[in-house]
Amino acid sequence: MKALARCCVRFPALAALLMITGFLLAQGQPPPIPSIKVVDLIPASLSGETNQDSEPFLAIQTANPQVMVASAFTPNPFSNTGNAPVYVSQDGGKSWVLNAITPVQRMTCDITHAMAAGENHPRGDLHAGTLACASSITLDESETNDVSSSTTMNVQTTRVDVDQPFVRALGISSGDRIYVGVNDFNQPNGHTATVDVSVDGGATYKSFPIEARKTTGQDGPSVRPAVAGDGTVYAAFFGWRKFSGTVATSDIVVVRDDTAATGATPFRALRDPTDKLPGRLVVKKISIPWSNAPTLGQERIGSTLSIAVDPNNSSTVYVGWADRGSKGDIYTLHVRRSADRGVTWSKTDLPHTTIRNATNIALAVAQNGVAGVLYQQLSNGRWITHLVQSHDAFATIQDTILASVPANEPTEQFLPYLGDYDYLLAVENEFRGVFSANNTPDLGNFPQGVTYQRAADFTSRTLNDGSGNPVAISIDPFYFSVPVIP
Amino acid sequence: MKISSFFVGFIGTTLWVALFGSSGAALPQQPDKQTALAKQSSIVFSGTVSRLGATSFADVPKSAQTIVVRVDSVLKKPFPVSLKRGDNVTVEVKDPSGFQEGTQATFYTDGWIFGSGVAVKELAHEIRPNGGEATKAASADEKAYGQTQEQGDQELQDRLNSSDFVIIGRVTEVHRWNAPKSATPYRVTEHDPDWHEAVLEIKSVLKGGKVKGNKMVVRFPGRNDVAWAQSPKFEKNQRGIFCLNRDHVSGVPTTKLGGNQVNAYTCLGHGAALPMAEEAHVRSLLKSQ
Repeated sequence: MKALARCCVRFPALAALLMITGFLLAQGQPPPIPSIKVVDLIPASLSGETNQDSEPFLAIQTANPQVMVASAFTPNPFSNTGNAPVYVSQDGGKSWVLNAITPVQRMTCDITHAMAAGENHPRGDLHAGTLACASSITLDESETNDVSSSTTMNVQTTRVDVDQPFVRALGISSGDRIYVGVNDFNQPNGHTATVDVSVDGGATYKSFPIEARKTTGQDGPSVRPAVAGDGTVYAAFFGWRKFSGTVATSDIVVVRDDTAATGATPFRALRDPTDKLPGRLVVKKISIPWSNAPTLGQERIGSTLSIAVDPNNSSTVYVGWADRGSKGDIYTLHVRRSADRGVTWSKTDLPHTTIRNATNIALAVAQNGVAGVLYQQLSNGRWITHLVQSHDAFATIQDTILASVPANEPTEQFLPYLGDYDYLLAVENEFRGVFSANNTPDLGNFPQGVTYQRAADFTSRTLNDGSGNPVAISIDPFYFSVPVIP
Repeated sequence: MKISSFFVGFIGTTLWVALFGSSGAALPQQPDKQTALAKQSSIVFSGTVSRLGATSFADVPKSAQTIVVRVDSVLKKPFPVSLKRGDNVTVEVKDPSGFQEGTQATFYTDGWIFGSGVAVKELAHEIRPNGGEATKAASADEKAYGQTQEQGDQELQDRLNSSDFVIIGRVTEVHRWNAPKSATPYRVTEHDPDWHEAVLEIKSVLKGGKVKGNKMVVRFPGRNDVAWAQSPKFEKNQRGIFCLNRDHVSGVPTTKLGGNQVNAYTCLGHGAALPMAEEAHVRSLLKSQ
């Protein structure tokens, strides 16, 4: 370097030529290929924490993907009566801070969120669906225009007797459109699968039941919307037809709306040929084990479900779920695909997508049509977190193992152990997502490498509180980004 | 709490301390205010202002109200928070005109943003004139509200205030309780509490009226779902101090006890059941209500 500096001093013309050449070469280069990134979200200033930070979620600001918000079952770090926090990154996931801005006291018992167009808010516009579980279970649908401010998110609507809000958003020039899948026990006739729709940035919401068939008194907890850029909105849910207490007999139902759910009776574009009712039955009467106790390792099972639409071709849509698989299996994942807007579906699982003893499926489709599936599999006493990508409907795949951690420690503090869900999104040329895992600082557990913000010694494989005092291992949320395959 | 009046009060106290010394002397009013502030605050530290209109780490929005303070000593903080002497903290102050570089003060704060450093929001501050050490009262706070205390007095006081009953007792029976279908519709969710009932034999009532038969029925969630993980789970022969409320949660406000219809109670959330070792502390807080 010193030699180069001397050269530039002695031969300024040569130096200028080198600079110009370098500039031109750089201009001709494609953008750099991003590398795989795995980051423990717990910040350095909370190095002493030992919470079970399970059930992570992620939102990326469309207008500026450097800004992201993540969440987990992370309590307020300084007060049992303060607001539950979210994690915020403003540098594309390299670093994260914790900011206590949700409208729920201490810790949410469900939280998902989405950031749509930004609406000229450089650190917004975050829309969240949260459950507060202090005494009754209360849903808040809320918003903030600045995820770094100290102002609590503005609650736009609230109601009780609702389960598992799942937020997606679509930004358009006139404002954000928000879609919140919920299992709404207020709906009549046991048609509990519902999508709350706002077409005015959350100022007002309307609730639309999307179940059209007889249920066992309710649908399953997971109701998952997916939104394409052209305004096509899909939603998948478990149509529960029977429930024994330990097994739900369920259909996998997909509904669709072609006008961003702006009409008076949305989500009726798809009808099943067998009964002509709204909602295509992707599979019928499958057995889904329901266990609210440690069953798959230390994790409970019963309601993992995901749907994703190609952002540039809304005819292509994927749905994934888990049920009781073959003999000796506890919980098996499946992925199916439709290439005709949900009218017909692959008759069997796509290749490489019948996955035994696994949960927390999350699907996403990248701009180039590559599909990604994130899941966590219990194998040989370890929780292994996979991101599988494919450009040909999983006929050929690239499987990236993000984490492989001991499944027997730490001991669960509550359920869910890792989460009832994790999350995957596609932005630009990356898949980005979040998962929760044992946080032992052991590079052997993270085959792609890992960055810890919290104080950790990878030589002794121990955590400390930043002052050298040992800290017990726990479940932490991890952010990752993986380049999309060509 | 108005800062100005607090500050005037502090000056008076400082003079009082200077004149009469602080060792063993009860300082009228001012130490009470410091103690009250310390109770309200989650993070208390003394420090020296190093920059105005600045922040100590990225991701904290800089404004005229944010200042950077170098920590001289930490008087109170939650256990998970990493904060020590020499760290730089961003403080969002209420009135930045009261500070200049080099100002030394004790800051009573709540947490705000936690990243590579700590950012806090000021509840109040106490200037340390002439660069003096933190007051004796603050040192006392450090002992009284130490770094490992998970449930602050303020939180316990709030819980006691909001409880219908605070009793000392023993659990004599535990059984599962299913709400009648006519009372609450059957719902399957991960957050199902799986209600149980515990019968409490009352040794003494610290708050609330006389209890007929000296027994109460308390409903509690048996499930370890995230929604109920903080709520006490009762076991037979368990003894303790229990903060109880009439049952407005399960959907059925009464239950049967010894053949009689009686009110049902709940004991929910962090700190609603306390060990017997806390008896004197609880009695003292109830006395001050």
